[in-house]
Amino acid sequence: MPLRTRRSRRTRRGLTLVVLLAVSIAVITLDYRGQAHGSISWAKRAAHDAFAPVQDAVDDVARPVGSFLAGAVHGSSLEDQNADLQREIGALRRQALAGQATRSALRELEILDNLPFAGGIPTVTARVTAFSPSDFAATIQLDRGTTSGVAVGMPVVGGAGLVGQVTETWSSGCTVRLVTDVDSSVGVRFGAHGDLALVQGAGLGKALAVNLVTPGTVLHKGEVLTTSGLQNAQFPPDIPVARVTSFSSTPSATQEAVKAAPLDNLSILQYVDVLQWQSAP
Amino acid sequence: MTVSDAARSTLVIVVVLVVQHTLLDTVRVGGAHPDAMVLLPIAAGYAAGPERGAVFGFVAGLVADLFLPTTYGLSALVGSLLGFGTGLATQGLVRSSWWLPPVVAAAATAAGLGGYAILGAVLGDPGMVRSYLAPALVVATPAAAVLALPVVRFVSWALPPRATVHGPAGGGTR
Repeated sequence: MPLRTRRSRRTRRGLTLVVLLAVSIAVITLDYRGQAHGSISWAKRAAHDAFAPVQDAVDDVARPVGSFLAGAVHGSSLEDQNADLQREIGALRRQALAGQATRSALRELEILDNLPFAGGIPTVTARVTAFSPSDFAATIQLDRGTTSGVAVGMPVVGGAGLVGQVTETWSSGCTVRLVTDVDSSVGVRFGAHGDLALVQGAGLGKALAVNLVTPGTVLHKGEVLTTSGLQNAQFPPDIPVARVTSFSSTPSATQEAVKAAPLDNLSILQYVDVLQWQSAP
Repeated sequence: MTVSDAARSTLVIVVVLVVQHTLLDTVRVGGAHPDAMVLLPIAAGYAAGPERGAVFGFVAGLVADLFLPTTYGLSALVGSLLGFGTGLATQGLVRSSWWLPPVVAAAATAAGLGGYAILGAVLGDPGMVRSYLAPALVVATPAAAVLALPVVRFVSWALPPRATVHGPAGGGTR
């Protein structure tokens, strides 16, 4: 290959990369500074709305395919009969397990119907459809969106307490940032004197950090932290958030080192309630 | 890129996106899951060279970002670099070894996830490096090695080698 052609191709290649990087950086900057937030949100909503039926269709197809494969082979020999019996036993076991799963889902829905802490706030019950599409954020997706009255900023609770907050919505679903996400922080109150603190996420499956607790504050293991509901708070007051799991203090520390755990098991949620509540502007 | 290349590439991106969000997202280990979307630019760079790898990675990244809660454009930036880098690093290699795509995919996925987390941290989210990077590397890197062969084959179908430009003496474009 002639040297000039090779050099011009190299130049073109480099130019392509520079253009792509420049466009990427421009898009990141616009999103980061909020200047293109409207159009990016619109594009994300449209993509989610377009993708939702595909996801449902794939789910619908995947299940019958499994059942079809299980029942596809049928024979008359003893071995085949034996295999059929084994398959029936397997199916009965699966039915029993499915029954258990249904019972557990029903229990979850019953608890959500009688939340002791929602205090008359209207709720939208939603099914969890996906866990964290990104490895770099602790989020869940729900099957209720703007058409059901869900809006960005609304708190989301499970049967035991706060789960997170809605960060993105589209017509048939929404994304919820879990309390365990590193970007999540919730103002809480605890103890007989109503001490204030800030619960911050540290990643899915990791303990929550409870910050701004003055050294010497009386704390108990298992103590429940509830939302403070202070002026301009992101959450209504008195929603249980987490349970204290450990605390310690060193002489020179400016605050107690307190760890807590969410009250719901966030990795196996099936149903949650979106509280139709928004903080005062 | 021809119209048929563009159509096939669109199909590949959509199919991998559907597989990612309907199947792979449910395979969670320690909070992380396999990531086929990050494999797309790597496979494109491997199969079609640096330039087409960068363009494919950019488009796949923009599409992936529509479904992620992180900053929009981050995957496009990392995808462009991954496609270009993988193409550049592998263009002189003999492609007959079956183990080459899995090794390249695993190494490039680790680099891509690291770059993604560092860029996220630079943009004000240090938790991406501190809390999320380690589980993502542990799960997504071996998964990339497993998924590499089918994804590279699929992307190679979408981005076939370009026709020879310089005749018998000139060689191909790769």
